Amino acid sequence: MSTMTSTGSTGGPAPAESAHPRAGRGRGLRLSGMNWLVWRQHRAAYWTLLATAAITVALMLYGRQQMVTYLDGYGWPDLKSGWEEKFNRTPLSMAGQLIGYAPILIGVFVGAPLLAGDLEGGTAKLVNAQSTSRVRWLATKLGVTALVVAVSTAAASAVFTWWWSPVKSSQYALDWSDGNAFDSSGPVPVALSLFTVVGGIAIGMLLRRTLLSIVVTFGFAVVVQMVWSHFRMSLGDVITVTTGNGVGADNFPKLPDGAYAVDQSYLTASGDLIGYGSCNEATDKAANACLEKAQVVGWNVEYIPISQMSSMQWLGASILLALTAGIAAFVILWGRKRLV
Amino acid sequence: MMSNGAGYGGHEIYGGLAGESAIEAHSVGRRYRRGWALRDCSFRLPAGRICGLVGPNGAGKTTLMSIAANLLEPTSGTLRVFGAAPQSAEAGRRTAFLAQEKPLFKRFTVAETLRLGRELNPGWDQRAAENIVRAGNVPFEARIGTLSGGQRTRVAFAVAFGKRPDLLLLDEPMSDLDPLVRHELMSTLLAEAAERGTTVLMSTHMIAELENTCDYLLVIAEGGLRLAGEVDELRTAHAVLTGVHSDGRAPAEVAYHTVVETRTSGRQFTALVRPDGPVNGGPWQASTPNLEELLLAYLRSPEAPPLISPSSYVAPQAVAA
Repeated sequence: MSTMTSTGSTGGPAPAESAHPRAGRGRGLRLSGMNWLVWRQHRAAYWTLLATAAITVALMLYGRQQMVTYLDGYGWPDLKSGWEEKFNRTPLSMAGQLIGYAPILIGVFVGAPLLAGDLEGGTAKLVNAQSTSRVRWLATKLGVTALVVAVSTAAASAVFTWWWSPVKSSQYALDWSDGNAFDSSGPVPVALSLFTVVGGIAIGMLLRRTLLSIVVTFGFAVVVQMVWSHFRMSLGDVITVTTGNGVGADNFPKLPDGAYAVDQSYLTASGDLIGYGSCNEATDKAANACLEKAQVVGWNVEYIPISQMSSMQWLGASILLALTAGIAAFVILWGRKRLV
Repeated sequence: MMSNGAGYGGHEIYGGLAGESAIEAHSVGRRYRRGWALRDCSFRLPAGRICGLVGPNGAGKTTLMSIAANLLEPTSGTLRVFGAAPQSAEAGRRTAFLAQEKPLFKRFTVAETLRLGRELNPGWDQRAAENIVRAGNVPFEARIGTLSGGQRTRVAFAVAFGKRPDLLLLDEPMSDLDPLVRHELMSTLLAEAAERGTTVLMSTHMIAELENTCDYLLVIAEGGLRLAGEVDELRTAHAVLTGVHSDGRAPAEVAYHTVVETRTSGRQFTALVRPDGPVNGGPWQASTPNLEELLLAYLRSPEAPPLISPSSYVAPQAVAA
């Protein structure tokens, strides 16, 4: 009986499995327990993410190589003036844009289905009927996913930052205050991606439907992007410079390279500020008369220097990571009691 | 673990029944937004029994099992699995639950599905699980999504068995199996249970299945417990009275006993009663009901007073949670 059935089944690796508890394909890394289950269940998503990151990194390394070849012609690292004229900024800005989309894509396609799929398909019951605790299951799902997301986005961000660094201070390449640069370099892509992916996981847990969670997570991720772009520059300390020698074209204060101008206004003799647009008259003569009448003596300019960029990114990233940790704790505490 | 029974004065009255309890429920209730699915359910299931859980659809069977399997928390009351809370690691290790829809990962192969059981359960028995799969000639390399419903149920069974549970909770386990497979899996189940002393709680609609396999019975209807106890004990506690009725009603003497249900058809009446005294001597013939008669009578008459046999009785003063 047993010989008959064992020849009937494929006879290959499966029977051997009972003798030796190993079934992996010898990838070197031996996963076991819950880590194995989570990786096996979501391996398509994880590999897609890692492969996409690897391709992006390779393309960006090539892009940097091209850029450095061009800049070498202008004496890089001490760039001669005029290098900007034929500089092709498109690859750099496209890469920045691509990395900028990563949080939305990752949140929608990795985060939203992560728990919603199990709750919708009933497999949450299967896993929770085994000997391991629910907290362990939730923590492993969150942990493995966060690790894969962090590794992928950190690699992409690091290479992008490296690519951009030779021309970072120049507005010709990228404007550092712009999302393409600010959100695609340093710790920001990692923090934004982790925040949206964990948000997507929480949405999936509450809604328990994959498709609905994907749609709602998309909305959530877009709102996160909008709120983030709105408050991005509020992370910096605004520096104010004032001048007292008139508002002629030559008298505008000299700002450091790559400074992001927050606001500019006229300074009057009494020390008040009036808006830049308040003397927009039809003719220069009328405008000058207006300035005269208001007793404008100079400029008041507020800006954020590029030297703050890194600290702003780290401040923003730590706020996002704190929020992420809060959502992750909510997923575990809520899921421990009410899941399945 | 052996301390159970200490706080339950009730058991001492029925000496010899105070063996280990697989499940002890004290006023367990569960409310959903629609209302109570299970209400004030108190019983004890002695270890080592094969227990049928019967009730109409929506009676709270799945809810009760889910509470024991730690998939749900009761809204009120407490439930213990071998004396431990369902959410404890010990109860989790000793309990296996086969949900009604038999959820499995569709993209996993059969071998991977068994590996899931092995990775997540310290006491996993790969050989037992593989034997169940092999007996149905299910290829180990096949993906779950490509299997037939019966094959999938078999794999789900293998995962539940491989865990080597002390308490096996099966929610309508046989609903999508053909009679041959059902018979084979039932024999496996009974053999394993007998060999290892596994307690089985199995919900089903098939009364024939119960008759052959179960030695214990829990009946719930409308969220409350109607009957609990050993099958033979419950049967002999009732009598079926049949006779000729006059003017469409059963004779008045029937009401000397606790009446569960009376029915008339043609010139005959049939009454299922719990005798309060001798049943012979009335204008009827008395006999012991079979399981089907007993179940149908209780399911049809939800207002009949419940009967909780001594072996499944728990004292109302529950242990503190």
